[in-house]
Amino acid sequence: MKAYTVKDLMVPLSEYATVPVGSTLFEAVLALEKAQEEFDHTKYRHRGVLIMDQDNRVIGKLSHMDALRALEPTEDQTNGIKDLIHFGFSNKFVSDLRKQERLKAAPLSDLCQKTSALKVEDFMRATAEAELIDHEASLDIAIHQLVLGNHLSLLVTQNETAIGILRIADVFAAVFHTMKECETN
Amino acid sequence: MKALENLFDRIVQRANINLRELAYDVNPYIRNLIPLNQMVKFYAFYGITPHHPLDLEFRHSNLAGSYFLGKCRVNNSILYKSDIRGDELKKAGGMFKYQDFEIPLSQDEGFEIEDSFLIKTLVHNYSHDPETIEKFFITNTVSAHYANIHGSPTDGSFLGPFATVDLTTMNDCVIGAFSYIQASEIGHLKIDPGTVWVRSPGHFNFLYRYPHEQLRHYIHFTTGQRPQGVLIDFVENRKEAFQRIFERVNLEHPVAVPKTASLDRFAVAIPDIRISDNVLVSQRAFLQNAWLGKGANAQENCFIINSRLEGLNVTAHGAKIVQADLGKKVFVGFNSFLRGGPNCPLTIGQESIVMPHTIIDTKEPMAIPDGHLVWGLITGREDLATNCISLSDFAKINGPFARGRMFFEGQGESFVEAFRNRIDHILEANGAFYDGTRYKGHAQKNQNISFNTIQPYPEGDLEGLYPTIVIQP
Repeated sequence: MKAYTVKDLMVPLSEYATVPVGSTLFEAVLALEKAQEEFDHTKYRHRGVLIMDQDNRVIGKLSHMDALRALEPTEDQTNGIKDLIHFGFSNKFVSDLRKQERLKAAPLSDLCQKTSALKVEDFMRATAEAELIDHEASLDIAIHQLVLGNHLSLLVTQNETAIGILRIADVFAAVFHTMKECETN
Repeated sequence: MKALENLFDRIVQRANINLRELAYDVNPYIRNLIPLNQMVKFYAFYGITPHHPLDLEFRHSNLAGSYFLGKCRVNNSILYKSDIRGDELKKAGGMFKYQDFEIPLSQDEGFEIEDSFLIKTLVHNYSHDPETIEKFFITNTVSAHYANIHGSPTDGSFLGPFATVDLTTMNDCVIGAFSYIQASEIGHLKIDPGTVWVRSPGHFNFLYRYPHEQLRHYIHFTTGQRPQGVLIDFVENRKEAFQRIFERVNLEHPVAVPKTASLDRFAVAIPDIRISDNVLVSQRAFLQNAWLGKGANAQENCFIINSRLEGLNVTAHGAKIVQADLGKKVFVGFNSFLRGGPNCPLTIGQESIVMPHTIIDTKEPMAIPDGHLVWGLITGREDLATNCISLSDFAKINGPFARGRMFFEGQGESFVEAFRNRIDHILEANGAFYDGTRYKGHAQKNQNISFNTIQPYPEGDLEGLYPTIVIQP
């Protein structure tokens, strides 16, 4: 049975979609598409774009969910509906207001204008300590870290420098492969 | 002044212990807000009348410039130019009704202020908490300029400048500047500046939140600085008039006051002034070229300038009315700021309700029709589309309603009725309905008040602290 380490399973940073800080949402989506075209040795698709600072260090990640959230009405546009629950308003009241505001905001009606105006740093998720994993870490540690933090991927580091991405799909594939080995033996 | 410094540190620590869950440190906000040497300069004073209990006890406290009426215990506290007005405290032998309970009072209710620092704060009304019906406590609490603690027992909390807590028991909360909270009971909440929240659980819920950038123009409070903005400038620009009346022992106002009305000796009245029957003008109110019709009132920290109030008007604590004409029975809520101008008069139709903490600051003529509800920030006529509605339309709401930055859920009728009942109660308590024999209120009872002054140690370790004083009949 093979003893996997993180570096066996990770996608090297060079094969992952990255954009520099200051890029627009549209540029991030283009980078994701380009990386996917060049990265065709697995049926699993990239699901995020890494945001790099001026020194080419990873400072955050933009997932599909983050990109969609960026198109939603902001709190300024909704007069703080999100907080109404804290003031004793009912869930139904808040939910109905959200629907109304979303219809009013119509995020897809001016999609082109929005995606070229939104900057990635405004809605990316900054990299947290719990999302980092050393390239020599074992598969057990990686599973534990993914499950504990409910992460879809981890940023792989070597000497505190990011060198790749460990995706949950690749970890699952390795586990599945190991299971099959058990069955065969 | 060592003892006063230690007392300040003790109060800050106690407030912070209560606010630790909110990670709020009051120290940088208030450390240098009032220099301690200011607290030696002013005498404290108390009122003596046959209508209210005289039962005061001060221990290990500074009371600079503060006023006391009724029953009050102050311990380990600093009260700077605050009004502790106990003319609406419950009396022994009375009955307190709460929901289905009728709770008899075996002793007079009293204020219990401990380990607290109140700056230019008004404390008034009575405890609405059924669990402490004979004790209106304010403990481990700090409040900044022109805050109102009204019928609200308070523990471990911080109130920013011009914040009001009304008919609400409050524990461990931070109330931002110019926020108004009336919500029965709250705990462990941090309320942003400019929040106006009126909630009666099971009946209605009203919420308006000021846009922060625009509110900053009117009031802004940050660490290491005094409160800033139009509201504080407006008040500070007129403080010299108050200094004159506080400096003199005997003072006659140059204004004719009917026998049924009351113009407090510590109010400012600059002619031309008209005081009609049953009018109440409280201490620290400011009148200049003002016409007050029968049964109108101006409560503490109110300013009425170049304005006419037709009668039965409630101008709640801290409200400011400039260049405006108000019809009969217009209610102007706490700390509201209504400002027209010579070329842009503001008129408000009869029986309208201006919500607490409303700002109407118009640069064009503006007329609010009769029987309307107005709220929030209104700087021109176009804002009325989102901040004004007729009371009859509002009463028809039954369910969710949103307009502009205002959210409402519940029964509009219940909301309107609650306000109308309260307005009637205030008018009655103030003596607005007095007919020569019946319905006597503050306007009639507060006419003849004697004031005694008390002072702190002038120097030494105890400089600034008042000696322990017990005052009883």
